[in-house]
Amino acid sequence: METQENDTIDNGEKIIRTTTAFDCGGRCPLRVHVKDGKVIRIEGDDFEDKNEQLRACLRCRALRQYIYHPERLKFPLKRDGPKGSGKFKRISWDEALSEIAAKLKEVKEKYGNSSIFLATGGGYQAALHDGMFAMIRLLTQFGGFSTHFGNISSEGAVYATQTQYTSPFVGHSRTDLKNSKLIIMWGWDPARMISGSDTIFNLIKAKEKGIKIICIDPRYTDSAVVLADQWIPIIPGTDTAMMVAMAYVMIEENLHDQEFLDKYSIGFEKFVDYVMGEEDGIPKTPEWAEQITSVPAEIISNLAREYATTKPAAFMDCQGPARSAVGELYNRCAMTLTAMTGNVGKHGGSAAGGLMGIPYGHMFFASRIPPPYRNPVETGLKSVRGSLDLQLRFQARCHTNKMFDAILKGKGGGYPFDVKFAWFVNNNFLNQLGNTNKAAEALKKLDYMVSAELWLTPTARYADIVLPVTSAAEKNDFTRPWPSGPYFTAMNQAIEPIGECKSDLRIAEELADKLGLEEFVKYPDEKKALRFLIKLREDTRKNIRNINEFREKGIHRIEIEEPYVAFKEQIDDIENKPFKTPSGKIEIFSQRIADLNDPENPPIPKYMERWEGRYDPLSEKYPLQLLSPHPKNRVHSELYLVEWLREVDPHVAWINPVDAEYRGIRDGDEILVYNDRGKLTIKAWLTERIIPGAISIFEGAWYDPDENGIDRGGCVNTLTKDAYSPGGASALKSCLVEIKKYNRGA
Amino acid sequence: MQVGFYFDQTRCIGCSACAVACKDWHDIPAGPEKWMKVLYNEEGKFPHIFVSYRINPCFHCIDPVCIPVCPVGAIAKREEDGIVTVDSNKCIGNEECDSKCLKACPYDAPQFGTEIGAKMRKCNYCLDRHLEGKLPTCIESCRTRALDAGSIEELKQKYGSIKETNNFIYSERTKPSVVFNPKEK
Repeated sequence: METQENDTIDNGEKIIRTTTAFDCGGRCPLRVHVKDGKVIRIEGDDFEDKNEQLRACLRCRALRQYIYHPERLKFPLKRDGPKGSGKFKRISWDEALSEIAAKLKEVKEKYGNSSIFLATGGGYQAALHDGMFAMIRLLTQFGGFSTHFGNISSEGAVYATQTQYTSPFVGHSRTDLKNSKLIIMWGWDPARMISGSDTIFNLIKAKEKGIKIICIDPRYTDSAVVLADQWIPIIPGTDTAMMVAMAYVMIEENLHDQEFLDKYSIGFEKFVDYVMGEEDGIPKTPEWAEQITSVPAEIISNLAREYATTKPAAFMDCQGPARSAVGELYNRCAMTLTAMTGNVGKHGGSAAGGLMGIPYGHMFFASRIPPPYRNPVETGLKSVRGSLDLQLRFQARCHTNKMFDAILKGKGGGYPFDVKFAWFVNNNFLNQLGNTNKAAEALKKLDYMVSAELWLTPTARYADIVLPVTSAAEKNDFTRPWPSGPYFTAMNQAIEPIGECKSDLRIAEELADKLGLEEFVKYPDEKKALRFLIKLREDTRKNIRNINEFREKGIHRIEIEEPYVAFKEQIDDIENKPFKTPSGKIEIFSQRIADLNDPENPPIPKYMERWEGRYDPLSEKYPLQLLSPHPKNRVHSELYLVEWLREVDPHVAWINPVDAEYRGIRDGDEILVYNDRGKLTIKAWLTERIIPGAISIFEGAWYDPDENGIDRGGCVNTLTKDAYSPGGASALKSCLVEIKKYNRGA
Repeated sequence: MQVGFYFDQTRCIGCSACAVACKDWHDIPAGPEKWMKVLYNEEGKFPHIFVSYRINPCFHCIDPVCIPVCPVGAIAKREEDGIVTVDSNKCIGNEECDSKCLKACPYDAPQFGTEIGAKMRKCNYCLDRHLEGKLPTCIESCRTRALDAGSIEELKQKYGSIKETNNFIYSERTKPSVVFNPKEK
């Protein structure tokens, strides 16, 4: 084991400075205490200024129990019972990889490379050992593969920012929050969803400076508990109606910044036509919005006035409300308001757009060993560059949230491939995409499946072969935070691999041998490989000058002179530094979208009712809207089994007493949550913190169907739909359900 | 010297990183034995509601009521820093004495595992860390810096002497060593 020892304590205890690579916005520096080859304790960042420490959350504080959990997979497994039964037997690596290689060759010969499907997620995000990169490289060199398109988390926001700015870097440094005079948090709960280790603390500091914070959310979130001067509860999925009505008030009262709009944007007049009712005869007044959103007209008017007249103001929309049928329209409406108030490109302001990323150490600049050439299955297709036509994305791929539908139906269902072999890595998609019961059906039907995993997840239970993967504590690597940084963290191996676990990179290398892919380049020396990867990209090359020092410290903090502000360059000098949109300006009206001629995808942002919202006729049968926010005690479904984490936040459904009492449900009752897609059981938690008519179940609990097909694990996606918005947002939050008290045996 | 805690209720998001860090540092299994707890309080009716969290370690009281009730003298208060410690070798277990310390404590600080005749254990202010000049692990794990610890006199000078907060009543009998920044309703 090649280790970077950072510190030794007298009693033989070593401290290894390292990090993790979960699908989390933290990537916090950790100090792992190791004695006799075992992790015995975890400590966090010890940066000298305590207020500047990047403190790990409860999840990495429980890392020891994650690493040594008795359910961790230790050996390769071969299925030894029906798919989904969880019955497996131990086999050797040689046996496992030989079988997989033979299967891959057979499928390639019989059905062609497009029938090999790679399902990749964000379960491990670091440069060297990331299984997504390793498998893309391997399968490319094996002749190609089919895969999926669409970020399950943020595709709505990606589409929206591509439309109006054509840049995903719409965020400010978190330290810029203190320069605001007003912060509007819309559907954003950074107390739980860690978009930057220090984001919540920066917000608290802003509040303590006297900056007013308003939270708009169907739930009174833990962020609202400490931050909200005002909580405005809103019916889920209706945010755009309220935003459009805010625009109405600004236009009506001439509070918008016409000079800014003239100079930096195009299409505002078309938006005005829509808002004022010229287009469709409906003026989008606050009274109109009150009927839709349940937010009193006066509150909408006051917020519009306050936002338009308090400068600078940070309008912080998120990705969550866009994870719905409304999708991209939510972020587009928010961005339009930031342009109307002239808050784009200014300290203390915000460009909105949900992604909140800054171009320092950002995950979008993924450090990876590149494949030597393009995936042969995808060569020769029409270019997607600059296009907002989602259909171009589906020339060779399916939408991520349609993956299981594609596996079920194949070319007969209009998809570009018939899957005969699937490799699942860095994901628990059966659990984490819409419609888990359909996913289970698809995986039962799938000819052959490999899962590279640390656990026998609900997804891995359907695999033919499960390969055990090492945790971050067992690897040398380095990471980039999700969006906010600005820093890189070093992953230094703390312990030997558990059991026979291997990293995804090593698995790919060994499989390359079995496949006889001699040209597949291997990286046996981790230190050399890390050096290569750091030099590969400009930002790491420039910033991390001394790799040994980086690994010793476990972190490289990027020094920025003043807080980063998205689009400051453009706003300061639009003539010479235009936006990357076709017009060079903020596109409130998008010709690229107009050219698609899709009535469901309007060229200006609008309020639209799509499906499974409050006003869908289906609400007669299923009257409750189901929310599925990020949990605090796991990263999506990662860390689910860790008992230290489970006990601090038991899995419950948030229900307003109004909705519960009407159905005879009391606090603590076990309830059945159901719709046409599935049924699950969960404990009811009666709380005034959620708007009546909506219930909330944190995503990521593991699917566990009983003999009647009722999910006893409380996996929220048992109920959600495998669908996407016109801009490609995974519509997991457009979901109607009914609930009733669950009586065992009844 | 008397050590104590400071809790800024206006900053606590209820995340429980402190509780998890405590379990990790002291190697306590998941289950009822919780040296640090985060308690929840919700009042009012939608949409006019008030929510607050409150930490619950051992407050290392000035006059700990747990000490005189222990039939075997297993609990002691350290003279040099006021940390209330328990000698688990002396403790005769929760069955034998019917958990007298837990019943006496107004804050439920004494903790027991699930085994029959479990010995009392509780927050010891991370005594090992304290002796090395470090703060308790809960303090250093708090993402929102809602926690501090140290000499109670110094904490009072730094943060004021407010002895009560939402969901916490100061017991004159036992005199908990803690000051607060309460969350206003």
